[in-house]
Order: sequence, then structure tokens, then C-alpha cells
Amino acid sequence: MDQTVPYLIDLLAAAILVTTFLIVSSRSLIFYVRLFSLQSIMLGAVALLVVIGYGETHILVSVVLTLLVKAVGIPIVLSRLIDRIKVPKEIDFSVNTTISLLVCGFLVILANSVAEPIISSRPVSTAMVTKVLPISISVMLIGLFIMTSRRKAVTQIIGLLTMENGVFLSGLSITSGMPMIVELGIFFDILVAALILGVFVFRINRTFETVDSDTLRRLRH
Amino acid sequence: MSVIIFTALLVLPLVGAGVCSLTRHQRMLEGVTVAVAGVAFAAAVRLAFIILAQSTLSSRNALLYVDALSSLVILVVTGSAFATALYSVSYLRVQLRLGAIEIRHVRLYYSLFNVFLFTMMTVLLSNNLGFLWIGTEASTLSTAFLVGFYEKEHSLEAAWKYIVICSVGITLALFGIILTYYSALSIVGGASNALHWTVLIKIAPRLDPGIIKLAFIFILVGFGTKAGIAPFHTWKPDAYGEAPAPISALMAGGLVNVALYSLLRFYAIVTKTVGAAFASHLLMFFGLLAMAVAVPFVLVQKDSKRLLAYSSVEHVGIIIFAVGLASPLAYFGALLHMINNAIAKLILFLTTGNLRLAYHSKLIARISGAIKVVPATAVFYIVGIFAITGWPPFGPFISEFTIATAGFANGNAIPVILFLLIVATIFIGFIYYGSRMVFGEPHHLLPPVQLHPIVDVLIGGLVLLLLILGTMIPPWLWMLVQNAAKVLQG
Repeated sequence: MDQTVPYLIDLLAAAILVTTFLIVSSRSLIFYVRLFSLQSIMLGAVALLVVIGYGETHILVSVVLTLLVKAVGIPIVLSRLIDRIKVPKEIDFSVNTTISLLVCGFLVILANSVAEPIISSRPVSTAMVTKVLPISISVMLIGLFIMTSRRKAVTQIIGLLTMENGVFLSGLSITSGMPMIVELGIFFDILVAALILGVFVFRINRTFETVDSDTLRRLRH
Repeated sequence: MSVIIFTALLVLPLVGAGVCSLTRHQRMLEGVTVAVAGVAFAAAVRLAFIILAQSTLSSRNALLYVDALSSLVILVVTGSAFATALYSVSYLRVQLRLGAIEIRHVRLYYSLFNVFLFTMMTVLLSNNLGFLWIGTEASTLSTAFLVGFYEKEHSLEAAWKYIVICSVGITLALFGIILTYYSALSIVGGASNALHWTVLIKIAPRLDPGIIKLAFIFILVGFGTKAGIAPFHTWKPDAYGEAPAPISALMAGGLVNVALYSLLRFYAIVTKTVGAAFASHLLMFFGLLAMAVAVPFVLVQKDSKRLLAYSSVEHVGIIIFAVGLASPLAYFGALLHMINNAIAKLILFLTTGNLRLAYHSKLIARISGAIKVVPATAVFYIVGIFAITGWPPFGPFISEFTIATAGFANGNAIPVILFLLIVATIFIGFIYYGSRMVFGEPHHLLPPVQLHPIVDVLIGGLVLLLLILGTMIPPWLWMLVQNAAKVLQG
């Protein structure tokens, strides 16, 4: 087979990791959402390349849904939300940028060691597995880190979605995605989750006059 | 026959949700929900007997699959749903009359109640682990607005925490499922049934041990978060504390067991692939950890519902610990405890709902002398407390005793002693707060609000059930639990 497709997939996967790092270091909420959208477009492109290069036509639906739901739909909803709620558009860090980036660097190393047994289990490893899988796990872990270290409710939504992008990428790399009908259900869940979380951001904003999830610390014990 | 049962369990709740979202007629909403839950429960009982006779039941395309394990949990979940649906009728009517909620809230409540039941049934009936995942995430989403039902600051906060933490957990579990799928694909090829549990359990000995171990860790964290085991339990006290009483009851009696069920399905696979030791050590550790984490919060607690939430953390710990002991007797005890804990939690959450209405507060300090204010509730509550803390002649005593015996029998004396110590300590906390609420002089100022007397009959029935389970378990149920334990042995 032609080597261009695996090469492009590698390149896009690396670019996805770069957007994840950019999200971590970004200070503006709107920029956050745009980076997520960019990341999802590249994820859709990876899925499309898997269709073209490996003939996995069943994930064509995932390509369309990734672009429609994650690259366009959810970012539009989130930007509207940011416009309507009255919050400073800057992000509060509970961990500063330098340390955040160091932690993320460490997470990439961790992801490589998690991926190691999976890669070595296979007699013939394709580039798809050896290079993309560690990246996908990194994206997943960094998404988790964003959720735990950023205070704004909107950034937590982005963190969750980034995690899900990581999981989706891992699926593409090792199993060429899930069976189509399962993939559909997963997309439905993600969309509904994003919408429900959006509604809650709105309500929390109305009730607390802030969307800082640090104020959400009244319940103890 | 199988078509009728699957329809009653899966399609009916969905239809119920549709009807409820279209009507504003209160009696219609109540009638539909109670009928859906009642029919589902009847179908679950019928299903249990079918499973006893022929051991499994599946749909023609093998997408739906029931064995003794799922049949048992379906029985527990639909039973909890039926009891809480009945309770909801009276509870919401009173709240509507008091002006705490409006009719649009009532509609939302019953619609989501039906969706909630549907999502749990999806998990329990799916043979495909992908659908099991979808159902689990959907169950979180459908309960989000029920947890945030009162739209107060605290309930919004609780709902936010609940969705975010559970969604993160379940996303990690998805990665575990993908790993399992990956491992299966190399054996069955590109077949579309590589995610079917029935296929996976057959090929389990040939799956890659390294990958399956890794997958199980992600699965344990994921579904463990959903079941609320420490240290991923932090959403639980908030969610149980803020949700309306019947919803807390249904989450503690139903949803918890659904999450545990998913975990057990994977446990059966991983045990067959890498042997019992790996998963069993993990489960024993996390089980004891969950139990231990609950202790300080039960001993020092201000809120009557959060007290129960920590008890839920403890008992999920007990069940996981028991599975970790990994012997047929321990599995039997664990599954029996699932039933007992569910019934006891229903009794306690529903009576706490009564107390909340009677005293207009859920704070322990505001509730005293309940025996003089709401005698029946007070009696059921104190009985519930003795039952959940493991006193004879109630069900939980039998299951906890079975678990301890099983642990001593297979040489886990030290963990079992720890287990018993924690159970005893938690009893002290419970009896201290329980007696403060039930006895003493009542000092409430507002006139107590009472639910319809039928609610007392309902809770009394649950107490009777727990008494039966503690003295003479019906032979058919015994058989069902035993067959379910066999599923875990692979």
C-alpha cells in the first residue's frame, strides 16, 4: 500500500497532540473552544484517512458525525454560551501554565508506557498502532488533567470532550473504530452530555452569578 | 414469550417516557409510570422463573441476552423502580400542594423516571458491551435533572459534580472496552459480534492477558466511579443528598447494582483470562478502602441523607470485597447482599423522605422524637438501621455472615477481621444518630406534613421482605442467586 496515508495519519495525530498542548496553555475561553473545534476537524480527517487507506467504510458515519457534532455543533453551542453568560473571558488556573505544560509532558511519557504492552502484544505492529496509540492515550490523560486543574465550568466541558477525542482516536488506531451502531450510540451520548452540561452552566450562572466551579464547594462531608 | 418479556422490560419504559413527555395530566403521569414499573417488575419475576428453567434467554439476533446474573439484577432494579414509583405519587402530590414544585416539574420527573428505567434495562439486557456502555452513560444523563430537580444552588452543584465525575469515569471505561474489543478482534476476526459478552466469555482463555489486565483497570475505575467506590465516590453524598427521596432510593437500590453488574461481567472475563488472583486482589483492596472511607463520615454526620449515602459507599465496598474473596460461597454472599442492601436502602431513603416532610428538614439535629410524631415511619426507620448494620433476623445479617464465613474459609482471615471491625464501627455511628432522631422529645415548630397512609403499607411490605430474606429465603430465589454465582465462576 501507498505510504502517504499512514504518513498523513501520523502527522495529523501529532498535530492533535499539539492542539491539546495549546488548549492547556491557552488563556482565553473562546480560543479554547476554537482549538477544540480544530482538534475535532483533524480527528475527523484521521478517521477519513482510515476509510480511504484501510477500506474501513463503516466509520464513514463517524467521520461525518465527528465533523458535524464535535467540530461544528458543540463549538457553536459553547461559544453562544460563553457570549450569553457574564463571566470574564479569561481562564483561571489553579495550576500555572509552566507547571501545567511540565505535567502534560510527563503525562505523554506515562501514556507511552501504558501503550507499551498493547503495542508489543501484536506480532506485526503497524505505524497506526505504534505511533497513534501513545498519542491518543496522551490526549486522554491531558483531557483529564484539564478537567482537574481548570476552574471554569466551560473548561471542564472542553476537558471532558478532549478526553473523549483521545478515546475515539485510540479506537481508530487499534480497532479501526467500534461497530457502526455502537459508534452512533456513543455520539448520541456525547452530544446529549454536552447539551445537558451547557444547560447546567447556564443555570449555575443564573443562580451563582459566576461560573467558577470553585464556588461549587459548598457541599462538604 | 421472550418477545413479550423483552418488550415489557425495554420498550414499555420508552413508551412510558414518550407518553409522559406529552401530557400535563397529573393522574395520567402517575398512572403510566406506576403501570410501566409494575409491568416491568411482573415481567422480571416471570423472567426469573424462565431463567431457572432454561438458564438463558436471548433475542433472535443475540443483541439481548439474559442469564441468572442479569435476571437477578433486573429483579432488584425493577422491584426498586416499582416501589419508588408508588412512593413518588404521594411524595410529589404533597410537594405540589406545598408549592415546592409546579406541574411542569412533575411532568419532567415522571418522563425522566421512565427514561432512567429504560437506560438501566438497556445495560442489563444488552449482550453487546458497546450498548452496555451507552446505557450506562445515558443513565447518568437521564438522572442529571432529577438530581438537580429542585434547582437550588446545592442541587445544581450536586448535579454538576455528578455528571462530570461519572462521565469522566465512564469515558475511561470506554477505553477499557476498546482494549477488550481489540484483544477479541485478533481472535474472532472482523466479526461484528466481537463485543458480545457471550462471545468474549467463550474466547476469554485465548485473549491477551496483558491487554485484558490493563482493560480491567480502566473498567474498574470507570464502573467503580459509577457505583461510587472510594476514592471515586465524591459525587455520591451530594447527589443522594440533593435528589428527591424516591430518586435517591432508586439510585441506591437500582443504579448502584447496575454499575456493579457491568463490573461483574468484566470480572468474569478477566478471571477466565488471567486467573482469579489479579482481579480478586484489586477488588478486595478497593472494597475495604470504600468501607474504610465511609467510617469517619458516618461517625460525624449532620445530614440524614448524606449519612445514607456513605452507608451506600460502605455497602458497595462490602459487595466488591466479597466478590474479591473469589469463592463460590463468597459470590453467593455478594449477590445476596446486593438484594438485601437494595431493599434496606429503599426502606431507609423512603423513611428519611417521610422524616424530611414531617420535620421540614433533612438535618439530623432538627429531627427528634420521631416515634411520637410519625410512629410508623420511626419504627420502620429504626428497623431499617438495625437491618443495614447487619443485625439478625434481617437479610443483610445472612449475607454479611456468609461473606465473613467464605473469607475465613479461604484463608483471608485478616481482611475479614478488618471487614467485621468496620461493619461494627459503622453500626455505632448509625445507632447514635438513629436513636437521636427516633427517640427524645419532639421540638419541631411547623406542623408535620404526612404522606398518604398507603406509603406506610409499602414500606412495611419492604420491611417484611427483609425479614423473610433474613429467616427463610424462598427456594427459587436461593436457586437464582446460586445460578448467578455460577456465572461469575465462568
